[in-house]
Amino acid sequence: MNAPRHEAPNWRALVQARLSLASIERITDDAAHDEDIVEELAQHLAQRFEDHVARGIPRPQALDLALAELAEPATLARALRDSARPRRIAPVPPIVGGKPSMWNDFVQDLRYGARVLMRSRGFATAAVLTLAIGIGATTAIFSVVNAVLLQPAPFREMDRLTMVWETDRNTGTNREPASLPDIIDFKERSRQFTALAAFAAAERTITTPGGEPTRVPILFSSHELIPLLGITPSRGRSFTSAEDAVGGPRVALISDRLWDRQFQRTPDIVGKTIRLNDVETTIIGVVPAAADFGTMQILRAAAYGRGFADRDLRSRVDIWLPIQGDPRVLVRDTHPLLVLGRLAPGATVATAQEELTKITADLEAAYPSNVARGAFIEPLSDVIFSRVRGTLWVLLAAVGFVLLIACVNVANLLLARGTARLREVAVRTAMGAPLRRLVRQFAAENLVLTAAATVLGVAIALVALRGLVSLAPADIPRITDIRIDGLVLAVAIGLAVTTGLAFGIVPAIQARRVDLQGALKADDSRGATAGRERSLLRSTLVVSEIALAVVLMVGAGLLVKSAWRLSQVDTGYRSDGVVKAEFQLPASRYPAVGAQWPNFVEMHRFNDELLTRVAGIPGVSASAIVGNHPVDPGSQNSWRVVGREAEGQNWPEVSIRRVSVGYFETVELPVRSGRAFRDGDGSADQPVSIINETIARRFFEGREPVGQQIRLWGAARTIVGVVKDERINGLAREAPPAIYLPFRQAPSFNGAEALLVRASGGVSALGASLRAAVRQIDPQLAVFGVQPLSATVGASVAQQRFVTLLLLAFAGVALILAAIGIHGVLSYTVVQRRHELGIRVALGATPERVTSLVLGQGARLTAAGLVIGVLAALALTRVLATQLYGVSTTDVTAFAAALPVLAAVALLATWLPARRAVRLDPLEAMRD
Amino acid sequence: MAKPALTSEMKKGSAELLILAILEDGQRHGYEVARQIEHRSRGAISFHVASLYPMLYRLEAKGLIEGRWVEKAGQRRRRYYRLTSEGAEVLAAQRSLWQEFFVGINRVARLRTT
Repeated sequence: MNAPRHEAPNWRALVQARLSLASIERITDDAAHDEDIVEELAQHLAQRFEDHVARGIPRPQALDLALAELAEPATLARALRDSARPRRIAPVPPIVGGKPSMWNDFVQDLRYGARVLMRSRGFATAAVLTLAIGIGATTAIFSVVNAVLLQPAPFREMDRLTMVWETDRNTGTNREPASLPDIIDFKERSRQFTALAAFAAAERTITTPGGEPTRVPILFSSHELIPLLGITPSRGRSFTSAEDAVGGPRVALISDRLWDRQFQRTPDIVGKTIRLNDVETTIIGVVPAAADFGTMQILRAAAYGRGFADRDLRSRVDIWLPIQGDPRVLVRDTHPLLVLGRLAPGATVATAQEELTKITADLEAAYPSNVARGAFIEPLSDVIFSRVRGTLWVLLAAVGFVLLIACVNVANLLLARGTARLREVAVRTAMGAPLRRLVRQFAAENLVLTAAATVLGVAIALVALRGLVSLAPADIPRITDIRIDGLVLAVAIGLAVTTGLAFGIVPAIQARRVDLQGALKADDSRGATAGRERSLLRSTLVVSEIALAVVLMVGAGLLVKSAWRLSQVDTGYRSDGVVKAEFQLPASRYPAVGAQWPNFVEMHRFNDELLTRVAGIPGVSASAIVGNHPVDPGSQNSWRVVGREAEGQNWPEVSIRRVSVGYFETVELPVRSGRAFRDGDGSADQPVSIINETIARRFFEGREPVGQQIRLWGAARTIVGVVKDERINGLAREAPPAIYLPFRQAPSFNGAEALLVRASGGVSALGASLRAAVRQIDPQLAVFGVQPLSATVGASVAQQRFVTLLLLAFAGVALILAAIGIHGVLSYTVVQRRHELGIRVALGATPERVTSLVLGQGARLTAAGLVIGVLAALALTRVLATQLYGVSTTDVTAFAAALPVLAAVALLATWLPARRAVRLDPLEAMRD
Repeated sequence: MAKPALTSEMKKGSAELLILAILEDGQRHGYEVARQIEHRSRGAISFHVASLYPMLYRLEAKGLIEGRWVEKAGQRRRRYYRLTSEGAEVLAAQRSLWQEFFVGINRVARLRTT
């Protein structure tokens, strides 16, 4: 070596030379990085060399010693290459962390997660299914809440809109329509409203040349209505005040739906005509589909004058006609019009109420027909949403409970599985996997799990929604608009991510508490410490699961009992076996001239002929024509008893029931005294009436009503009979006082009638026969609402039934999930304790003893859950109060029914693992 | 060398623990790490460039340690390594694992510590 000894060697060059000896051109893919590595190694060698020299080693030897650290070129090359490309050779699972590519790591995590889940299919299936049910049910209910409650109203400043109801102190009703003269006075005198609009529901038959006549719901509306709501016609314009005046032109606004259905969206729709009840009417505009928003709820809230709302809850308004009201015809004591107002700037519901109270008081003093009548101002949004708001939130809360139970179950599954995977966690931690990395990988697994559950959950929601919408009571606003939109999807995904994150914590807690030595010992199940803590957590989860199930079951129990009570209600009439069909005789062919009333010849002739034809249909045992069927409250009127006029001043109005001969037989309504109507009660005969038991009880206490006279509709009508009460205001409401009049003596001016037929045999065949019978007499008449009367009755309790069915379903799912939870935990416990149980069996413990050990644990968990659940239910079922009929929210039977069911299911879920414990082979168990 | 060198297998198995333990006290460059290991083991354990640096790079890739070039006034830039929080956790886990292992070995082979 002739190199100058005092000069420092070029270490970089030496390192480079060694590397090229090993034919390493590149260590990494990055030249700059390679430079750094060479520099770092060179510095090391330089310092080593200096140290050797400082310790007195001669420079040449020191150089050799230092260079020896680079080892054999091949070894060095391999070592550096391996370390420089750690990720490519990283073993699966990917426990190596690092910055360069989070994304690649993440994708790898996901892939690994999916593989892990595929390996344990049983676990994955159970977890995904459980979560999907929870997410699906919640998504479905939330999409209902979203569509019904959360979407903005189609009206401008809806919070300024109020209903202006009239009230009647005599009947105690506070949501009555108003009279036209009252409305005119309101408009003139009120300063608290910028505008008041009137409307009334009706129906019309559309006839097209060569087409089937169709029946459509219409709204008579004052010219103020559409502008007041803030709705702009998409074509044409809305009514002018001239068009709304008496004798105005025959004009109509049609809905977007009708434009589409009947006119195929023809652009020149304005100016076209449409035949309504045989009257040519000119279309002046098209309004958006949402223009009838809330109409159904307003009509349903009204004490009477509900029009089509009582017939078909899915009705949508297709035509608007001007009222063209004549105060000489629509006099003060007839109340056909609903009133909507827009509050003036600065006005509130309270100030408007104050003002209207004063105005109605003045009217009461001025007109005898306004006695006892007041006003009630109610925000429109209350009218539209109040019936449904509570129900939907209750359902959302209930389904949230189901989701919670599902989450608890999956958490439980994960806990049990996590315990089984303790060894894996321990090994990987020992191998140097940082906690963050482990958590991330568990999170990736959960992400795969929740992603699968979300996809399945949304699919479940789609199917469930279809069922929900068809099952839902149709008077839920916007029920037909329900769909899974962006918000709903976002919520579903949010739910999934939240639950996924919640589970992410589970393995994280475990990983943090992993006791490496314990876990690494051969026996993973018993050796792991923190097991007691985990089993406590698991027990807590099971207890809360049972408690949640108790709440849902008690709620469902209350509703079922309420539904049962409703089904047991004595309606008075019998709907089974009765079929209903409705029609309206148009004034063009069935003139209803006031001067001829009640002898409307054409109308009576049609009715007689129809009843004769129907009586000839095989299987028909009785039939009748009525103004209102038994589920239709119809209209009310004031009345007096002849000779007791003064006394009757403060009597409430009574419901008027117009029925033909044969009605009482058709609906099997018992006649308590006197007689039913007969053929002799004709238009020209002595006016007669029949009262119900409520009238007899309340107004003829201690007197014989039969033979007395009632003054009603301008005639003294002799009471010829008393019939049993009919619940005409709905199953849940007591029968109101009602007076029955023979149809021939009190036909309806608007020609609206219902045919009721009692027959043996199929409904569908009978319906066709009824339509045929009508068509034979009048081929142009539209027949609608053909259905069994029992279906009509059922529809009237649709909301209760809907809530009941849903809560029952939720409670059922909760019960199953809770059972799975108990079973899972106890099965796991049996596995965990098999060593101990095996010793017990070997030492002579009887099967009974072993069984009771396991059962005892299950029983303790169940009992705790039941107690907590009962307490929670007592606190929570109060929200159901408005849904219940004849049942208190703390009804003992509902609680008493829920508890044994849950206890029994819990026992079964406990018994299965207990049996497994008994069947343990002690030798095998102890060897484990 | 008075004491017999540890076999390379034993060294490989314990290298991670040793390096992490050295860096526990503060950041050091590669040569210092090697010196400290030799010093604390009183020469029983030593690492050469060919074994030390690949291990350092591997630990860095795992996120257990972090290396960065530091330039100090009047000195050449050097690469210093420090323990990350993950590294500290793994060190703790490794310690207890080795403790257990050592106790076990001792019970079996009855080692004497000086």
